[in-house]
Amino acid sequence: MNPSPVEAARPRLGTLLLRRGALLAFAAILLVFALGAPNFLAPGNLANVLAQSAILGILAFGLTTVIVGGGSNVLSGGLDLSVAANLGLSAAVYATLDNAGYGAFAGIGLTLATGLAVGLLNGLVVVGFRLPPLLATLASMNLVAGLELVLTENTVLPSASPLLEWLAFGVWLGVPALAWVLLGVAALLILLIDCTPFGLRLYAVGEYPEAAHAAGIAVRRHVFASYLISGLCGSLAAFCSAAWFSGSTTGSGEMLLSVVAIAFLGTIFSRRLRPSIGGTLLATLLVGFMINGFQLLNISSFWVNGLQGVLILLVVALSGLSRKEP
Amino acid sequence: MNPLTRLRAPLRLLTLFSLLLGAAPAPADDGAQVPSLAGKRIAVSMTGTSHYFDIKAFQAQVDEIKRLGGTPITLDAGRNDRNLVTQLQTVVTQKPDAVIQTLGTLSVIDPWLRRISAAGIPLFTIDVPSQYSLNNTTSDNHAAGRALAERLAQDTGGQGNILVFNGFYGVPVCAIRYDELQKVLAARPGLKVLQPELRDVIPNTVQDARAQIAALLNKYPKGEIAAIWAAWDIPQLGASQALIDAGRSEIRTYGVDGTPEVLELLKRADSPVGAVVAQQPELIGRTAVRNVARYLAGQRDLPKETHVATLLTTRDNLDQVNRLRGDQ
Repeated sequence: MNPSPVEAARPRLGTLLLRRGALLAFAAILLVFALGAPNFLAPGNLANVLAQSAILGILAFGLTTVIVGGGSNVLSGGLDLSVAANLGLSAAVYATLDNAGYGAFAGIGLTLATGLAVGLLNGLVVVGFRLPPLLATLASMNLVAGLELVLTENTVLPSASPLLEWLAFGVWLGVPALAWVLLGVAALLILLIDCTPFGLRLYAVGEYPEAAHAAGIAVRRHVFASYLISGLCGSLAAFCSAAWFSGSTTGSGEMLLSVVAIAFLGTIFSRRLRPSIGGTLLATLLVGFMINGFQLLNISSFWVNGLQGVLILLVVALSGLSRKEP
Repeated sequence: MNPLTRLRAPLRLLTLFSLLLGAAPAPADDGAQVPSLAGKRIAVSMTGTSHYFDIKAFQAQVDEIKRLGGTPITLDAGRNDRNLVTQLQTVVTQKPDAVIQTLGTLSVIDPWLRRISAAGIPLFTIDVPSQYSLNNTTSDNHAAGRALAERLAQDTGGQGNILVFNGFYGVPVCAIRYDELQKVLAARPGLKVLQPELRDVIPNTVQDARAQIAALLNKYPKGEIAAIWAAWDIPQLGASQALIDAGRSEIRTYGVDGTPEVLELLKRADSPVGAVVAQQPELIGRTAVRNVARYLAGQRDLPKETHVATLLTTRDNLDQVNRLRGDQ
C-alpha cells in the first residue's frame, strides 16, 4: 500500500524543520539571551565568547575533517578520539620546551610536529592496518595520554612566552587574539574543504568510498590526509590551551566528549545534514553562547550539558528520520 | 601503657595551644557588626563543589551574603580549569560588586584574576594568595602544615619511609603544607620520602588513592613504610581504606581538612589515621563575605590575609572538632 500524502510528508517536514530550524533555533536562543541576560550583546562579551570557543572549536574542526573523509557513521565512519589527548601532549611538549629555554622557533615547530606525529600514527593505523577508527584512535588516545603523563607527571607545568602572552591577551580591532585564531583556522579549513578539488574529493571518499574509488580517487590517501589535518588541529588548539592556562594543565581528556558532541551537532547547520567546518563553527559558538548566557542569567552551567544532550538526541533522531526518506 | 595514652596530656596542651595560636590573627566575630550587603551582587566563584571543604565554604558564603541582604551570583567550575577560566572571564561582563574566588591552581587563574582586578571589581579570595586579591581568607597553612609534619615525625619516632601524595603542588595551600613537611623532614634524616612521590587526582580521588596504596603495600612489606602523607584528606581517606583492607595497622596516615569520613575513621579502635588538621570551611566562607561587606562599606584597612583557626586532630581530641566548628 502506498503511504498517504500526510505520512509521506511527515519525515520531509522533520528534515525541513531540521534544515531551516537549526539556524532559527540558534537565532531564538541568541534573542532570549539578548533580552534576558544583561550585557550579553556587549561587543566585549561577544568577542569573549569567540575567544572562549577557540580551543574546543579547533579540536572539533579536526574531528569534523576526519568525519568528512571517513563518513559520518559513528561506529564505522571517520572518528578521531585522540584529538583532546593530542592537545594535552602538544601543550605539555610546548610548555616543557619553553621552560627548558628552547627558542620560539624550536618550541612551535616541535609542538606542531607532535600534533602531526599523532595524526600520522592514526593515519597509519586506520589506513595502513585497516583498523576501525573508533578502536584505533581509542588506542592512540590512551598512548598519547600516557606520554603526556610521562612528560608532566600529571602536574601543571606553568609556562610563559611572548606567543602565549599575545594569544591570551592580544587584541586586534577590539577582538581578542584567540578569536582571530578560531576564525582564521575556520576560514582556512572552509577554503580547503569546501572550495578546493581536494575537499570535494574528501567528501566523495567519505560518503561513497566505492564510487570515489571507481572514479579514480585515491581513497586511502585522502583519509590519511584527514587524520594529518586533525593531528595538526590538535597541536594548534594546544597553543590556545597553553595561552588560556598559562602553560600545560591536566585533564585535557575531559574535553573529548564536548568535542565529539560539537562535531556531530554541527551537522544540523548544514542543509544536507552532513559534517562541515562552517556547521561545526556554528555549533561551537552555540555551545559557547549557551555557557555564557547561562552564567549571565545566573543559571548553573551544568544545565548546558543537559541541553547539549537534548540537542544531540534531536540530531540523532531527526537524521534517522531523514535517512528513512524515500 | 599505650604510648598514645602517655602522650595524651601533653598533646591536649599542644592542640589547645595550636587552637589559640591559629585563632589569634582572626578574632572571632559574631557577625553582628558586619555592614549590610543590601543591593550588592557578590560573585561566589568556586573551583569545584565536590568535596567537604568546598561545599561547606560555598554554602557558608551564599548563606552569609543572603543574611547580609546581598545577592549571590554562584559559579561552579566543576573542577575543570577550562570552565574556571571561562567563568572568571565572563564574570567581568557581569560587573558584580565583588568577586570571591575559592581555590584553584595559581598559575592558571592568576592572569584572569588580574583582569578582574583591572576591571575595577574588588577581588577577594579563599585559599588563593594572589597578588591581585584584596584579602585572602585561609587557614594558617604554615602552622597547620608544620604541626601535622611534626606529629608525623613524633608518631614514627623520626625513623622510616613515608609515602607522599603531591599531585597539586600548583595549588598554593597544598604547596605550603608540602614545604612545611619538607622542612620538618630536613631536620630528621631518619625519615625518607619514597620516590617517586604519588600523584593524587581529581575526580575519583578516594578510589585512585586506595588503588595506588593497595599496590604499594604489596611492594613494601611490613616495616618498610612508616607513614603516608597527603596535602588534603581525600587521598588520605583512600589510603586509610587501603590500609584497613590490607590489615596494615603499623602505618598511619596524615592529611588536612577534617572531612567527616576521615574523622569517623579516627574513632576506630585500630584507626589508620594518625592525625588530620581540621579546618573550618564554614567560618572561612563567612569570614570572606564579612571582609567583602566591610570593604564595600568603606573599611579599607583589611589585612592581606585573614587566618581562621585549625585543629590538629587525633583520636584524643576528636570531641574538640565539634566544639571548634560548632556546626556538628
